[in-house]
Amino acid sequence: MRPEDRERIQLEVVSRVLERHVSAARQGPGARQGAEVLETLVSDTLYHERRRLERDTPAPGELALYADIARRLPKASESELVRMIEALLARFVEEVVGNFDERVYRVSTSVVPAGLSLLLKAAGAESARDLLSVRRRTASVRDHIDVSGEVEHVRSLVDQGTLVVVPTHSSHLDSIVLGYTAHLLGLPPLLYGAGLNLFKSPLVSYFMNHLGAYRVDRKKTAALYKEVLKEYATVALELGYHNLFFPGGTRSRSGAVERHLKKGLLGTGLTAYINNLKQGRPKPRVFIVPCTISYDLVLEAETLIDDYLREVGKSRYIIEDDEFSRPRRVLNFFNEIATLEGKIAVTFGRPLDVVGNLVDGQGQSLDPRGRVVDTASYVALGRGVGGSAPEHEPQRDQQYTEELAAAVVRELRRVNVVMSTHVVAEVLMKLLGEANPGMDRYRLLRTGGGAPSFPHGLVVSRVGELLAAIREAGAPLVAGEMLGATPLQVVDDALRHFKSFHTRPVAERRGDRIFHEDRNLLLYYSNRLSGYELKRREAVPEAIRQEGG
Amino acid sequence: MMSDEALRVGVIGAGSWGTTLAKISAERGHETRLWARREELAAQLREARENVDYLPGVSLPDSLQVTHDLAEVVRQSELLVLVVPSHALRLVARCVGDTARGEQCLIHATKGLERGTHKRMSEILREETCLRKIGVLAGPNLAAELARGEPTGTLIASRYEEVRRRGHAAFSNGYFRVYWGSDVVGAEVGGAFKNIIALAAGVLSGLGLGENARALLLTRGLGEMAELGTAMGADLTTFGGMAGVGDLVATSSSPLSRNFQVGTRLARGERLEPIQAEMKMVAEGVNTSLAVMEFARARRLTLPIVSAVHRLLHEGGDVPTLLQELMAIPTGQEFRRSS
Repeated sequence: MRPEDRERIQLEVVSRVLERHVSAARQGPGARQGAEVLETLVSDTLYHERRRLERDTPAPGELALYADIARRLPKASESELVRMIEALLARFVEEVVGNFDERVYRVSTSVVPAGLSLLLKAAGAESARDLLSVRRRTASVRDHIDVSGEVEHVRSLVDQGTLVVVPTHSSHLDSIVLGYTAHLLGLPPLLYGAGLNLFKSPLVSYFMNHLGAYRVDRKKTAALYKEVLKEYATVALELGYHNLFFPGGTRSRSGAVERHLKKGLLGTGLTAYINNLKQGRPKPRVFIVPCTISYDLVLEAETLIDDYLREVGKSRYIIEDDEFSRPRRVLNFFNEIATLEGKIAVTFGRPLDVVGNLVDGQGQSLDPRGRVVDTASYVALGRGVGGSAPEHEPQRDQQYTEELAAAVVRELRRVNVVMSTHVVAEVLMKLLGEANPGMDRYRLLRTGGGAPSFPHGLVVSRVGELLAAIREAGAPLVAGEMLGATPLQVVDDALRHFKSFHTRPVAERRGDRIFHEDRNLLLYYSNRLSGYELKRREAVPEAIRQEGG
Repeated sequence: MMSDEALRVGVIGAGSWGTTLAKISAERGHETRLWARREELAAQLREARENVDYLPGVSLPDSLQVTHDLAEVVRQSELLVLVVPSHALRLVARCVGDTARGEQCLIHATKGLERGTHKRMSEILREETCLRKIGVLAGPNLAAELARGEPTGTLIASRYEEVRRRGHAAFSNGYFRVYWGSDVVGAEVGGAFKNIIALAAGVLSGLGLGENARALLLTRGLGEMAELGTAMGADLTTFGGMAGVGDLVATSSSPLSRNFQVGTRLARGERLEPIQAEMKMVAEGVNTSLAVMEFARARRLTLPIVSAVHRLLHEGGDVPTLLQELMAIPTGQEFRRSS
């Protein structure tokens, strides 16, 4: 972030949020009522902050500030209340922006890949000497990240407006991978909100600080704080900073592609667009870029699926004790990538406008029949043909964001890439279900049912059928390395990954049978294929090829 | 505030219902344009101030403009009202899409589901235009009664408040009571589905059966409507309203209803093809039964009345068999969902 913008953004966020509350309070029935509204806001914020501090370590000055406000609150006049809210906002914004070093941020694009390469080298190195040897590892990160999809399209939009990249989320490594991808594509850095816990992890805070990360404390539950985060993202977009939001809000616990998106953050694109139009900014457009990130193996898979199964729907929103916080596991993970030639597939979907239309290379909105539409017409409010001025309209804008969310979900599903591990896990889960008809899923996962293994040949032929069904359906996409592979090779590849990184092998071949070992992980990896209506098809005998592209 | 101002309303489709809605809107003082597909019809409406083909005996207000130029109607309107037969909706919508703009509102009053895709009309509108602010109008609305100024009510359903308000402003008056809601799916399914039941009700009436039999059919038919609707994502309560029970009762009791007429004539021993060929207007129930049956089979829904009507219309069934099948629908527990 440019130094002059940093201060501007802070002031802008504080004044906008403050203005919103003050004018809402003044629109109330009477002056007294107005003051009450503000007082409620202050005490609500204090309440949530104090509850958080019962468990959380206070930041310097935090306790003093809250104590002071609490003491003055009962007798505070309206203008004092306004100043209190301002103080709270200033504190929140300060923390969000963090002690971000602009100079470092500017060189981030070269620092991140270097760091990633180093990580890969360190992972593969068996000794310090290896680490220094250039020849030991020739593989660069580039060889492990497979970028595909609407890359040129996305690149062409950089000059037409501001991007909001909305990827699937399965690992904390996602942001690093995308930071690097942006570098590969020659895109400007992406600004994004990262949980405070990521900054605490020694290995990864390095990357966080060098990517465009701002701090999000998910333990802060006060509405005012969340408002600050949203406004921060909005103002940053208006200033032309490309953003990265994980639209699911958190890492997918089940392993499936996100189906329910967080509308609050997603809607900031529309808000920023309308503000841009109102202020007559030269490039007002905001583009939403869906993107999927697929891994052969997911670093945090064990913790995530465990959390998912613990009680579906009641999973922990914040996990601080996962694989990501254990440097050794992170290193092992990179080792796995390096030695098994693991791939990370980053696939860009078709970019959308703020109401969910596709856009062309010039950033113009297209209707479903490909006709150019004036994007601004959607936000024109008022009477008369052609509407009048661009304006916010909360009820309408909320519906627009719902439509955008649906379009993003559709696009994510369309460009979801499945790896050999997902395909083989899906087949094994299906076989398990068939071998234990009517058995409760949790019991099946726990006990494994009556069939501890399946014939290798059967698994291979079912993989062939599944790949044929995927090909026929046209979605999900199949990872590049599977395109020319036979079902046998796909099974071998998956089994190699399955025994390499996780605490115990997910599934394993012994003789001519395949044993399922960690069924929770099988469920996790198979979920990447959930929601696609794939019918069983006869396998095509020759190698699986994807048509069209 | 909006209701006090004159809107620019464009009604697309000059059948009996389109003409009636245009008349109401023009009488409310809105600048209203009515589009007719056939140039001769447009000219005749303009000159005679009467829709002799579809709404004879009803005079149209002088302020109502009638045209054959679709693009002009779309360009000039803040609120578009689409009232075309369901089989024509996709094509007309595509033409509307040539000139439509993002800020425009559109309310459709077309009852049906698309064959093959089982898509609702608003889904087709989304696929063929840039429009977002879409709504549906459905209720106990027999055009001829309404055109004479007889009282009734209707539902405008949209996710967008602006559509609801503008629709209300355009149409609600002393004899046409407009309610609104947000359940688009429910309103569309109710409006489309009731035509199948109306057809069956026509058969019962043609056979000389009385009110008890009709009530039995309507009540169980309402249950099937709700079954289908909730499977498509509708809110159950919608079916207790204007677009559900309201529309069902009106359409299934009136000789004015085309679907009811088809049923009555079938009961008298006439055959479907000649009846359809002779009618000027479309009996939507005939096609809707095909689309609903396809959907029900794909989703494994049990809709015995729909199956029976489908067999009568499309599988060479006859009236005695229909009656037999209706009376063979299992009895027992009245509601499967107990809540």
